[in-house]
Amino acid sequence: MTEFQILTESILNALVAGLLMGAIYGLMCVGLAMIFGIMKVINFAQGDFMMMGMFVALFFFSTFTQQLVGDFVGPYIAVTLAAPIMFAVGYLVHMALISRVTGSRTAKLDGEGHYAQLILTLGLSLILQNGAMMLLGPYMVTIATPLSSSAWMITPIWDDMLLIFINKARGVAAVISVLVIIAIGLMITRSRLGKSLRAAADNPEASTYMGIDVNNAHRIAFALGIAITAVAGGLLATNYPFQPFVGLEFVIIMYAGVVLGGIGSIIGPFWGGMTIGIIQQMSTLVLPFQLQNSAIFVLFLLVVILRPQGLFGRVSERT
Amino acid sequence: MLKVENLYAGYTDVPVLHDVSVSVEAGQFVSIVGPNGAGKSTLFKTISGTVAPMSGVISFEGIDLRTVTPPKRPHLGIAHVPEGRQVFPSLTVMENLEMGAFTEAGQKNWQTNIGQIFEWFPRLDERRQQLAGTLSGGEQQMLAIGRGLASSPKLLMLDEPSMGLAPAVADFIFDKLIEIRRETGLTILLVEQRVAEALEFADHGYVLETGRVVLEGDHGTLNADDRVRQAYLGM
Repeated sequence: MTEFQILTESILNALVAGLLMGAIYGLMCVGLAMIFGIMKVINFAQGDFMMMGMFVALFFFSTFTQQLVGDFVGPYIAVTLAAPIMFAVGYLVHMALISRVTGSRTAKLDGEGHYAQLILTLGLSLILQNGAMMLLGPYMVTIATPLSSSAWMITPIWDDMLLIFINKARGVAAVISVLVIIAIGLMITRSRLGKSLRAAADNPEASTYMGIDVNNAHRIAFALGIAITAVAGGLLATNYPFQPFVGLEFVIIMYAGVVLGGIGSIIGPFWGGMTIGIIQQMSTLVLPFQLQNSAIFVLFLLVVILRPQGLFGRVSERT
Repeated sequence: MLKVENLYAGYTDVPVLHDVSVSVEAGQFVSIVGPNGAGKSTLFKTISGTVAPMSGVISFEGIDLRTVTPPKRPHLGIAHVPEGRQVFPSLTVMENLEMGAFTEAGQKNWQTNIGQIFEWFPRLDERRQQLAGTLSGGEQQMLAIGRGLASSPKLLMLDEPSMGLAPAVADFIFDKLIEIRRETGLTILLVEQRVAEALEFADHGYVLETGRVVLEGDHGTLNADDRVRQAYLGM
């Protein structure tokens, strides 16, 4: 192999790895976008709800789905089952806590209740992290599937010397992520529920005049956002070792993804997450591994400086 | 149909509305006129539930509205077209109308209603897929009225439909309202600063000043009243 071929091979591999991670990041970001982008609620515990989803999926996998359907399908069934559980968790957390610092109650306050949301969810985040630590210990775990230790090998048509590796677990996770995002996109843009969520976010007062229960719309959006991020977490858990503090590294990626993609957009944050995945993986070609995440923030700053409305956001809306 | 009796309401401890009583019978066109800050919008918001009453009675078709949560009230047949249009800017024209049809009656009669709305406001038909936030003020007002009609209401409450519109556009909106009223016999409660137009077609009118009903009566009584003639009609 020539030096050029080696370089091409590393670039292609990094790009593919970025696309796969990016799809999973994208799904995570869409979850946060429901809460932060659409409903304008600050949730610092988003990463920790994701961690919770990962452990719930792991619990289902190790208690029964592994025995019932095997190592290959088991993880995905476990993740699917974790989704409604996390939806319920999100719904209850909103009912008990978040609704006290959001919605009509805080609409007229300075900062629209964002200060209270910040403190409340930061507290929730600490409770979830340390609670998980007490219950489960600081051990690295993973949803062990044989897929994560095997890869598809692809040769580009123009040069059969090159080899691109696609980790199977990551490949499957990326495909499922994309399918879930398409389903969510259709739900938000086409369904009556989705439209009423957007209306409630657009103008809560007018939504009430239409007969939409705005508090309930907020609750559903919050629960959906938690469930979506938890699914992304579960998919990630099949190829990424995690522990109770895993949320911390991802909550930053999620906020960056939502801001990159454009606040208020649902599909934008997917591309935001995708961009982050690609930049993160490509940066390993030129930067040491430890600086992966700094590359994300260089990009983040560039976007904020050059295109403050985000990649897909609109500059302003007439009302 | 709608009965408001001895209503006190406001945003803080100080009431904006003092002892306000207004009633609308089925099939009537009732206008409430008065200057800025008289409490006209507050009255509408209290009926819709976004402002809570301090005391007094609000009932719709015999149902005490204090026992009905605000988002349930449109399902009873009350459509509120709010001040300043308040369309959903990031939804398309069609989606805005669909949100208007969120009530059971609106869903059931969707096909007939949407046909009628597009007949009255062909401009909305042309702009179905356009985001409501990019419409002109007049078009947004048409959309807000269309959205109210899409719910198949028994009572249509219009809060200053002429606000912020060019006089010609405001005239057009009034003409349409009268056309809609003539064709459907819909019960309408209108709040307006354009007193002459608002009283011209009304069966009954109220004059609201600093939160109190200072005068009421039918079209003839109000137009003949010296205070109304001097203060509002410029005669």
